Amino acid sequence: MLPNMLLIENETFHFINKENLRNEIKKYKDDGYRMCSITCERLGEEEFELTYHMDLNYELTNLRLVGKYSEKIPSISHIFPSALLHENEYKDLFGIDFEDLLIDYKGNLYIPADGTKNPLR
Amino acid sequence: MAKTIIPFGPQHPVLPEPLQLKLVMDEDTVVEAIPAIGYVHRGLEKLAELKDFNQTVYIVERVCGICSFMHSMAYVRGIEDIMGVVIPERAEFLRVIWAEIARIQSHLLYLGLIADGFGFESLFMETWKDREKILDVMEFTTGNRVIISANKVGGQTKDMTQEHFTAILKTMDEIEAKLKEYDKVFINNYSVKKRTVGIGYLSLEDVKEYAAVGPMARASGWAWDLRQTGYSAYKYLDFEPVVETGGDCHARNVVRIRETFQSIDLVRQAISKIPEGEIAVQVKGTPKGEVISRIEQPRGEAVYYIKGNGTKNLDRLRIRTPTFANIPTILKMLPGSQLPDVPIITLTIDPCISCTER
Repeated sequence: MLPNMLLIENETFHFINKENLRNEIKKYKDDGYRMCSITCERLGEEEFELTYHMDLNYELTNLRLVGKYSEKIPSISHIFPSALLHENEYKDLFGIDFEDLLIDYKGNLYIPADGTKNPLR
Repeated sequence: MAKTIIPFGPQHPVLPEPLQLKLVMDEDTVVEAIPAIGYVHRGLEKLAELKDFNQTVYIVERVCGICSFMHSMAYVRGIEDIMGVVIPERAEFLRVIWAEIARIQSHLLYLGLIADGFGFESLFMETWKDREKILDVMEFTTGNRVIISANKVGGQTKDMTQEHFTAILKTMDEIEAKLKEYDKVFINNYSVKKRTVGIGYLSLEDVKEYAAVGPMARASGWAWDLRQTGYSAYKYLDFEPVVETGGDCHARNVVRIRETFQSIDLVRQAISKIPEGEIAVQVKGTPKGEVISRIEQPRGEAVYYIKGNGTKNLDRLRIRTPTFANIPTILKMLPGSQLPDVPIITLTIDPCISCTER
């Protein structure tokens, strides 16, 4: 099926939390994984899920984190600089507060100051 | 001495895309470069949630006009995986033929833009004149030059006849002959090399650090090409990733030229092997589940996350395009470079901002 991957609950995800997020991502980086993408999906009014898709030799491993909009999520952009655009995008589109971003566009990566806030939330 | 901040873009004569770089300068040397985007965000991911999943094919192929076909190819492949749809072999070959033709026109576009970047206007015009032949092939085979709407969930909307194949092969021969001339200029011309060799260096370690993809990564020695996984009809074709180790602007030019030669060969192989048969299957039902669909676009790996909930509307469509992955490499390549080299370095990413912002 490579390079595609069906994502099946409890089979293709490793669940992590915001406390161990950076350590887990660092471990994957040290093992030679590259960060393929980060996906964000809303889960109701209060929560969202972030899925970190890590690739090694064309195979994906998916780390899933469930977070609350009221909490700060640690940024991994100091580990993988390519994460900075993903995280700023989700700050814009979902209103997720990422901590310690490599470059912080303060919610204005795509959305202008007078634009609709958090349109995907 | 006080540092100067020069805004490069979003409107600039040499930049084909609305990207802004805030360049912090120490005299002529770039100290820091901060990219800024957001000038062409259209909210296509939100729009996709409001449309029927079949209509979303028309949305995704309008993410970008250059890699339009492969956007829809990634999307329909993802939906087909969720729904367990297996398309006919002929449809797989047709997808590969159009995909590689699209890659050729994208790389010819790049060659023209990079020539324009170092002031070689006649070379820019020549490469784009040849690109017109590819667009003519698109029009002949599908009726449209740019957004060809050849993909649908379940297969293809159009077929090709022997007359089409003959025209394509003739055009491949013409493009190949011209490419051999461009090869001499882009790779061996003294003036071109002066502007590209040793400029914008990205090491193999940097590629992994910044998760660069596509020709950006392969020019630094990373032999990674999603087509090697054998998706679609690539499993029947014989090829290796095009890799250079220079890591500079020159190496990226070489990779793209060699990939154009390779795409011509892949088109010929696909046409020689395409089986007879149907081009689509009937698809019933609606998608329920999540999938990651990946494809090797001209600029690199594109990642589609698709989530269906069993209705005709998708829960979520998330597109990570190759330029989205490659833009952060600017943070590594530009500091330490000279101001006149900024356009060339930026152009060698082959940026597509409409892809990046959706």
